[in-house]
Amino acid sequence: MIQSIEDTRLQARAWLAANVPSEPPPEDGPAFRAFVLAWQKRQAEGGWAGISWPKEFGGRGASVLEQIVWFEEYARAGAPSPLDASFVGLNHAGPTLMACGTPEQKASHLPRILNGDVVWCQGFSEPGAGSDLASLKTRGRVEGDVLVVDGQKTWSSFADIADYQELLLRTDPAAKNSRALTWVICPMNSPGLTVRPIKTMAGPYKYCEVFYDEVRIPLSNIVGGLNNGWPTAMSTLAFERGTAAIALLIGLIQKVEQLLAACPVDRTAMRERLAGLRAQGASIRAMAYRVALESEDSIPDASGSIVRLAFSEFGQRVTAAALDLYGIDAPEVLTSQGLGHAYLDAFSETIAGGTSEIQRNIIAERLLGLPKGPR
Amino acid sequence: MNYGLTEDQASILAGLDQLIAAHSPEAPKEPRNYYYDAELDRAVAEAGYLQIAREPGFGVLEAALIAERLARLPWVVEAATSAIVAPVLPIPADLQPIALSSGDFSRPARFLPIAKVLVLNRGEDALIVRLDNATIEPVETLMAYPYGRLKSIEGLECQRIAQCDDLRRRWRIALACEAAGSMAAALAQVVEHVKARYAFGRPLGSFQAIQHRLAMAAEVTEAAKWLALRAAWSDIEADAAMAAGFAQCQVSQFTYDLHQFCGAMGLTLEFPLHLWTYRLRALVGEVGGASAQSQAAARATWTEAA
Repeated sequence: MIQSIEDTRLQARAWLAANVPSEPPPEDGPAFRAFVLAWQKRQAEGGWAGISWPKEFGGRGASVLEQIVWFEEYARAGAPSPLDASFVGLNHAGPTLMACGTPEQKASHLPRILNGDVVWCQGFSEPGAGSDLASLKTRGRVEGDVLVVDGQKTWSSFADIADYQELLLRTDPAAKNSRALTWVICPMNSPGLTVRPIKTMAGPYKYCEVFYDEVRIPLSNIVGGLNNGWPTAMSTLAFERGTAAIALLIGLIQKVEQLLAACPVDRTAMRERLAGLRAQGASIRAMAYRVALESEDSIPDASGSIVRLAFSEFGQRVTAAALDLYGIDAPEVLTSQGLGHAYLDAFSETIAGGTSEIQRNIIAERLLGLPKGPR
Repeated sequence: MNYGLTEDQASILAGLDQLIAAHSPEAPKEPRNYYYDAELDRAVAEAGYLQIAREPGFGVLEAALIAERLARLPWVVEAATSAIVAPVLPIPADLQPIALSSGDFSRPARFLPIAKVLVLNRGEDALIVRLDNATIEPVETLMAYPYGRLKSIEGLECQRIAQCDDLRRRWRIALACEAAGSMAAALAQVVEHVKARYAFGRPLGSFQAIQHRLAMAAEVTEAAKWLALRAAWSDIEADAAMAAGFAQCQVSQFTYDLHQFCGAMGLTLEFPLHLWTYRLRALVGEVGGASAQSQAAARATWTEAA
């Protein structure tokens, strides 16, 4: 077992050394899409795409430990962020299709996600439904063999460069939330669909608003059954082990080491701060590995929320320390891909994918067993 | 220190508010990192607000009140340096806008692209550089001020100041006033948001998790304001260092909390919160940063402690 893991590490290290793109990714738009898809395609050709996907769906079928090793090496090699425009396809839409899709849906979509042919985005959040996702209002009504969609989604990352969207709709206005929603594959070139990219405070266009005006989607695109969207969306979680985020965590841990190396000895307060961050990074890494490994054979408990909470705030602390170390006017900070961008981008860490407030609620209620607060 | 505004101070601020209302530019259609409006800058200067500290019967405290009020605006105005720092510098009273920077002349400085003079704090001494014939390269940053870099200092009129204590003290006071005004405006923006925005059928602001952290932000905002005004009133090193250092230490948590409660909306350029939080972030590194202020505060003799 140990020898096998060590072999995986050496193989991964050698392959990454030869294949990681040397140029930084473009900021946004079609050039960014081309970059992301080319990197995904290269991983597919090398046999490293879909590291966590089962072999029957074309993935590598790696154990959690092997996934950890892969993402450790991935971070050390400085490979592109695994949470970029390929993330929704590989970690959300793909696993959902594996769990709930029809044979036709699986055959049509899974190979294209894996091979870097398409970009997927998520259509869950709405102007009035973020943390409170169940209050979403975008409607889908059945007309013959199509769903006719009207409404608006927002914060749909990379929707401007996506081919498909995993779209969560209200299809039965009379039913309770758990039986009122439908998960559907929405082609982004559908007539009546408009995308408006939004410029973020960190620089690039990343989030998008998506408007649906009588958009007609075939009923055959529904995944998991009509009015069964909530359990379908939740099925994604059964695949999620958080291993991809380990690459980001290790990237931040490496950043702390770089900052410590750059910090003059006489800046004692800064060195103490960075030493504290080193300890935080090590603790989060240990927690993340424990949660990932224990989830190998069981459905994860809410411990992942502790890791998520600690990781997101760690990212903010590391990037803020970097700015304070170098100064706001330093070349390392000012460039569009520099530490200033990283600092501003980290503001989203405690919001995206479940805010820190929601994570704290989960920890309090599900782990500590405290009474549920008012919602 | 008197904690209420005098009649004159209230009248000055009322006049300033009227001027702002009369000169407020329209918001540009495209969201930007910052808004600078030269006309508003000029109007504030021409009305004499930046000279208030030189007027008989007035002083740094009145200049601080003006700088704090102007820092609340969505538009950046070069007021704090001209009103608070310039009176201790050997430069003509009407020579502004002024850019302040530390270290080498080629480091990016805020307001440099629109400045007439650069004041360079070099540690042991300072240099006043007239920018009449200077080549200034604009610097693209994500921070909310016009930044620029001086290409060369050769051929420019320079004046050396051997003693920099007054410069650094006033710079700290100016920084503290800008930070306090920016905090107040940012907090007001977020308070309005959490009253209007609903989740789980309730206003966001009704959740205790949010109430408590905004209450802490309010405490920080008030503390920053009163430390800044106190420093302006006493005009002594210990108060100036404490005021600037306190604001700089608080910025990180303060800005994270405010953005957090605006959700993804608060991460876009379309939502105006960044106009103040970007500024706060830029101010964190000035005059050596929070660590330098803490050391200065510890070094200074603070008579009130006795």
